[in-house]
Amino acid sequence: MIFMDDFLWRAALGAALLGAAAGPIGCFVLWRRMAYLGESVAHMGLLGAGLGLLIGINVLVGTAALAIVAALVMARAGDRTIPAGTFVGIVGHMGLALGFILLATMENVRADLLGYLFGDVLALSASDVTAIAAASLGVLAVTALLWRPLLRAAVGGDIAAAEGKGGRLVQTAFLVLVALLVAFGLKVVGALLIVALLIIPPAAARPFARTPEAMAVLAAIAGALAAPLGLAAAYATDAPAGPCIVLAAGAIFAASVLGSRLWQTFARSRRDSFDLS
Amino acid sequence: MNDPLIAADRLSVYAGDTHILDRVSLAVHPREIVTLIGPNGSGKTTLLKAILGLVPAKGEVKRRPGLKIGYVPQQFDRDTSLPITVAGFLALFAPAKAADTALARVGISQAKNRQLGALSGGELARMLLARAIAGRPDLLVLDEPMAGVDVTGEAALYHLIAEIRDEIGCGVLLVSHDLHVVMAQADRVVCLNRHICCEGDAHAVVRDPAFLQLFGARAASELALYAHHHDHAHPPSGEAGPAPNG
Repeated sequence: MIFMDDFLWRAALGAALLGAAAGPIGCFVLWRRMAYLGESVAHMGLLGAGLGLLIGINVLVGTAALAIVAALVMARAGDRTIPAGTFVGIVGHMGLALGFILLATMENVRADLLGYLFGDVLALSASDVTAIAAASLGVLAVTALLWRPLLRAAVGGDIAAAEGKGGRLVQTAFLVLVALLVAFGLKVVGALLIVALLIIPPAAARPFARTPEAMAVLAAIAGALAAPLGLAAAYATDAPAGPCIVLAAGAIFAASVLGSRLWQTFARSRRDSFDLS
Repeated sequence: MNDPLIAADRLSVYAGDTHILDRVSLAVHPREIVTLIGPNGSGKTTLLKAILGLVPAKGEVKRRPGLKIGYVPQQFDRDTSLPITVAGFLALFAPAKAADTALARVGISQAKNRQLGALSGGELARMLLARAIAGRPDLLVLDEPMAGVDVTGEAALYHLIAEIRDEIGCGVLLVSHDLHVVMAQADRVVCLNRHICCEGDAHAVVRDPAFLQLFGARAASELALYAHHHDHAHPPSGEAGPAPNG
């Protein structure tokens, strides 16, 4: 009976909470078109994990620390001669390459390399789940708390900054939230796939949302839903769990887009027939 | 004269080793409408952004303590992935009642519950102006705020800006391409071409018969459109030098 397995419970709980937290903050990543930055932060997270192991501190602490530093540095990078996107792309991939080399040289890690890249959600320990749960709830709480300033900075762009309502503090907080999520997501879906959880659930929520708040709530639900669906698929097919969760998110997105299109067509045809009669 | 709301002192902005702005000083006082004009690439938008602290610049900007700014940027990206209504957007910056009043004044009350992404260019420009005035700012900074607004609407909106100025006594710093309106509303016109070429009192200029004559000849360069005194000469290199005999 699948519901009896402890490791599955842990995986489902960790991944669902992470997905729920990724949804709302992912909305901001989408609105601010910062997916690329998130990607690079995740890549740097891999280097952080390697450095953490190398100097013997907790892997999560290393990952989170380097991810936060990378996010803050990269967000302020870029001037008129080197565009921010170029810089972010270079630094992120250097981090990925270096992190991979570092991890590959460690005898005891080598076997887990794929886990760092694509996640190893079925191997989550009880303390891992506790850490992920705490981080996810924390990110959710801070996102809710800073909702208005975050939204103002996202939708107003230069306006909020010019009028002194954007605040560097809000920008910094946002980047730290993204970095934290990326770091704690490393064990769940890996450095290469974590950004998918930031982008896909909000994109799936978009067609059914008329307000930013509704989009955030729907994205949280979609993110949380991807976990059990993906794990069920992984259990049924014996496929790697992390990628299955990401595929499940993709399936939710496809269903959402298809559903909203069908609904629109249906609503339009009803309106048209009403007009004719 | 009373203290300026905001004063920029010798602002310079570089891109690599190119000067975008070269030691530009500019102040806006309460109740004053200052209009920046200049050719494309003359640094008008960059100057506004430098004054607002949006781009790094050398030099100094002094703001009156507690200065409330209302800013209308030249470009406003509406990301279609962000679902938000006009009312929802305005609510992030001003109380609902002030937002409603501002929307009515710019003439788009009916757009209140529409999605930001569904507004036309002209409606968006009006909405952004409404947002800027809804907070009753001390200083309005408007960077070509009429993009996409039709001609009649444009004149009305510029009139509205002057009205708002009279009502709440704010200063206005404006970039505009439409010299007709600039001449009608501005107290002071500043001509920029990477440095300040000249400044003139628009009221005097508008009464000048030479202005009307000049205005007919639209082909004339923007910079030659109003009477002003040069405080420096332009050698062919384009650099500012001392004026010949004052």
